Amino acid sequence: MKPSRLSHILLVLYGLLILALLYLPLVSVGFASVSKARYLSFPIRRYSTDWYGKALESDTVRELLILSLKVAGLVTVISMVLGFFGALAFARYQWRFRKLYQKLILLPIFFPQTVLGLALLMWFNAIGIVPSWKTAVVAHLVWIAPIATLIIAIRAYSFDPALEEAARDMGASTGEILREVTIPLLMPGVISAGLFAFLLSWGNFPLSLFTTGADSTLPEWLYAKMVSGYSPLVPTVGMLSVAASALLLACALTIPWILRRVRS
Amino acid sequence: MGDIPILQLNGLTKSFDDFTALHPMDLKVRDGEFLAIVGPSGCGKTTLIRLLVGMEDPSGGSIWLRGERIDEIPANKRPTCMVFQSLALFPHRSVGQNIEFPLKLRKTPPAARKERALELLALLRLPEEYYHKRIDQCSGGERQRVALARALAFDPEILFFDEPLSALDYRLRKTLEKELRDLHQRTGKTFVYITHSLEEAMVMSDRIAIMRAGRFEQIAPAAEIYARPTSSFVAEFMGEVNLFDLRDGSGDLLLTGAGNEFATRPGTLMIRPESLRILGPDENAEISMSAQVSAEYMLGSRMQYALSLPSGKAITAELLRENADGPKPGDSLRLGCAASACHLIPEG
Repeated sequence: MKPSRLSHILLVLYGLLILALLYLPLVSVGFASVSKARYLSFPIRRYSTDWYGKALESDTVRELLILSLKVAGLVTVISMVLGFFGALAFARYQWRFRKLYQKLILLPIFFPQTVLGLALLMWFNAIGIVPSWKTAVVAHLVWIAPIATLIIAIRAYSFDPALEEAARDMGASTGEILREVTIPLLMPGVISAGLFAFLLSWGNFPLSLFTTGADSTLPEWLYAKMVSGYSPLVPTVGMLSVAASALLLACALTIPWILRRVRS
Repeated sequence: MGDIPILQLNGLTKSFDDFTALHPMDLKVRDGEFLAIVGPSGCGKTTLIRLLVGMEDPSGGSIWLRGERIDEIPANKRPTCMVFQSLALFPHRSVGQNIEFPLKLRKTPPAARKERALELLALLRLPEEYYHKRIDQCSGGERQRVALARALAFDPEILFFDEPLSALDYRLRKTLEKELRDLHQRTGKTFVYITHSLEEAMVMSDRIAIMRAGRFEQIAPAAEIYARPTSSFVAEFMGEVNLFDLRDGSGDLLLTGAGNEFATRPGTLMIRPESLRILGPDENAEISMSAQVSAEYMLGSRMQYALSLPSGKAITAELLRENADGPKPGDSLRLGCAASACHLIPEG
């Protein structure tokens, strides 16, 4: 059945309304970031991009970016590796405690992150580890590695176990099977898991708040500045952070398209 | 035959926990033979082939290849290769790369690999352009040929097949069965083919091994199995058949002359539907019976009749469709056949 003209218009309006609700807050931060005033107030009287210049020059902002990148980068790489092998155990191989493992790995995802963060902080204290950005990497991994595992497991479920058997039958060793069959076939899943891991770590606040100790990631700094000592650097850095995420996503979407173009 | 069989099983068994999938199995396969292993699903034929290629370990017994024991050698070190039911073609590689895979593992130089791949494409009657095609651009029949080419590139001593044609439509399957038979003759390799389709096995193979519940019931050429099955399971598996248990006497059957011999050697008497003919009023046969037609079915060149005997037993007869006024449902008639056209299955 073809929708009538009226219902078509209503559908479009509804879609636009949803998009506006989702993105308008972000737009307001964008406006705030180009205001010249020292305090957050609407409507904005005088526009300026001065704060972007200041943000890029600021040592604090640079350190924040480097630290957040370090955390997110490490979390990404480690969750890709853990997720790859975890997904094989989750989806491909039959072993004794598989059912239990499949349930246990889901738990951290459903745990409230604040509770998880607090629990980890108490644990680090108990075993005498001083919290820093390194403990934050561990904390992020507790939550993000299971997500990466699930994303790769979806891919692993869709692949025919006979492919690995066929490779073995034709003379491949375990290492050759991994290199020639398993890794290439799971690669799309591993890459999307990596992308998710980066974005989730980059934007994570509750786990970082509890576990970074004296160090501070971008979201933590933004929060701290909002609570006390607002400066127009806050919306500016926020917008830069959003832009970085968007850029990463755009790359992830266009690179496969470009590769396909080049190949054919 | 004094020479060593290419494949020999000695008391090979396989159990999973408390379930015995394969009872001790013995088998000898001749070099260059096309052997089909046929059985209903769950008979253990897939387990058997997985043991043969090394994807499962046997619980007992041994496997010998040209006089050398191979059951303790891992799958990737055995000189055999299998075409999988799902074909297991690598979706991330082109047709050419798939065929070259076993050669790449052996570190064959790329130029020699490509040459061999192109030879195999030609052998399987695939155009040379297919070398660069992706697997998902190939049709079902083309994929079969690519999978075969890849297995032949491995140059195995024995090529195993795990029902690779079962997912194809009827016409394509018929074509590929004949191609496979032809390929077997051209390559001279030993083929061991697992299938649940007896029709497929009869078209292609030199010998058929019928399996049931983890045992071989009979291993013989198709014609032999068809004419002289060793059990009523095999007889029924080989198509429409009428079986009469003679242990309780001849029952519905009237035995005369040579037919009397069956009465003295009780067992199960097998009469194929096409062996039966309609007897005229004064005609007699070594084995005869009176019957009533209950239904008729058109089979193309022949007619099939469902009939019932005085005791209520249902039988099947097939007649050529020459005479226009054949029997009609409800007719009573007498059927007969020669004793030489029947077979007595000497089982308990």
